[in-house]
Amino acid sequence: MKTRYANPYVIGTLLGLVLLFTFYTMGRGLGSSASFARIATAGMHLVAPEHAAANKYYARYLVGGRSPLMAWLVFLTLGAGLGGLFSAFISNRVKGEVIRGPNIGVSARLWFALFGGILSGFAARLARGCTSGQALTGASELAFGSWVFMFCIFAGAYATAYFLRKEWL
Amino acid sequence: MGPLYKYGWFDFAYSLQLAGLIGVLFGFLLERAGFGNARKLVAIFYLKDFAVLKVMFTAIVVCMLGLLFFSVFGWMDLSKIYLLPTYIWPQIVGGFVLGMGFVIGGYCPTTSVVSAVSGKLDGLIFVVGMILGSIVFAEFFPLIEQFYSSGSMGAVRLSDVLKINSGLIALLVCLMAVGAYWLVEKVENKLGDPETLPVGSRKAKAWAAAILVALGLVLAVVNPDRIAAKKTSAAVKEKPKIEAVRKAPPKPAEPASSGAVIIEDEGC
Repeated sequence: MKTRYANPYVIGTLLGLVLLFTFYTMGRGLGSSASFARIATAGMHLVAPEHAAANKYYARYLVGGRSPLMAWLVFLTLGAGLGGLFSAFISNRVKGEVIRGPNIGVSARLWFALFGGILSGFAARLARGCTSGQALTGASELAFGSWVFMFCIFAGAYATAYFLRKEWL
Repeated sequence: MGPLYKYGWFDFAYSLQLAGLIGVLFGFLLERAGFGNARKLVAIFYLKDFAVLKVMFTAIVVCMLGLLFFSVFGWMDLSKIYLLPTYIWPQIVGGFVLGMGFVIGGYCPTTSVVSAVSGKLDGLIFVVGMILGSIVFAEFFPLIEQFYSSGSMGAVRLSDVLKINSGLIALLVCLMAVGAYWLVEKVENKLGDPETLPVGSRKAKAWAAAILVALGLVLAVVNPDRIAAKKTSAAVKEKPKIEAVRKAPPKPAEPASSGAVIIEDEGC
């Protein structure tokens, strides 16, 4: 089944306006990867509170006596889930499935998804942001590191794409 | 004058509600563009569909122009915006690995959320992977801490590094975006699937491109950096006067919403 989605230039313009609105109201941009670090921290805090408090990286999300989940980006990510669900719902795209190319099995695809997720979660922490928190937000405020980061994403992806053509093509 | 939160227009609790609203718009737009589907996303890396690049560059250009024009009009104080600091080495390596994760997993962090909520199991697994990846990072943090803070350059903009003013940079970014659109559409027309590529009139595209470049040109001539510097020096001159006025009448406690409280932000 082939789907023609919304025009990317129109979506891009609207997304730029949402980002501008975020800057105007909050003085910061969009983002989401830190939410997953916060979820990880909250989980670790629940299971092994002493271990979490002793780790320098978890500790940065545990300051202030607030739950690590009471954070701006966590609410943004929750909202993104709702908005995405609404959009998928009105176009009848809510459907349990595994997105994969024709030449790969379901379980192999899911292992790739897990491994890719681990790499992305790690890389986003290392770079202090992801495609939205670094590339989109930082590039629009013309931050130097964010532009370098964005081109490195493309470089990393294009360098890897050939070896994974079986997964997608 | 924006950013409103930094001037104390609303409190933390309200900012969380606003975050939810902004998130809804963000997620909605991503799903509209088809970014809840891994095959649509990774098609860019097989030169078949450049929607990712088009959405990203357009959002960046629109927001960049908005920020600079808001600054020129005096509607927003750009120095109050949280500017991401540059740590060049971890950003280079992180970007490269994130790109690898993108092709292997099929998503980037936000798009995987949109994918997971619309029922894609691979998207959900990717989200689980990201949480695990964050744990791995935190557990190994003592070992990588030194690399994590290497190449620190502070919160620098392109204009600081390239030593040209932001207006000129904006023009260059606009030109780069238009050039990129032109190039990727050529590639798409050759390798892409005409049934799924977006339809759009040539005329509308030409107009939009012309407007982008024109707005960039205006900024290059106006030079937002100079205007911002002028405003700062004017504010410095005015400051003693305001203080003198403030000292004279011993006012009772000001209402919290007087619009002058600067709230510190924790960043990312």
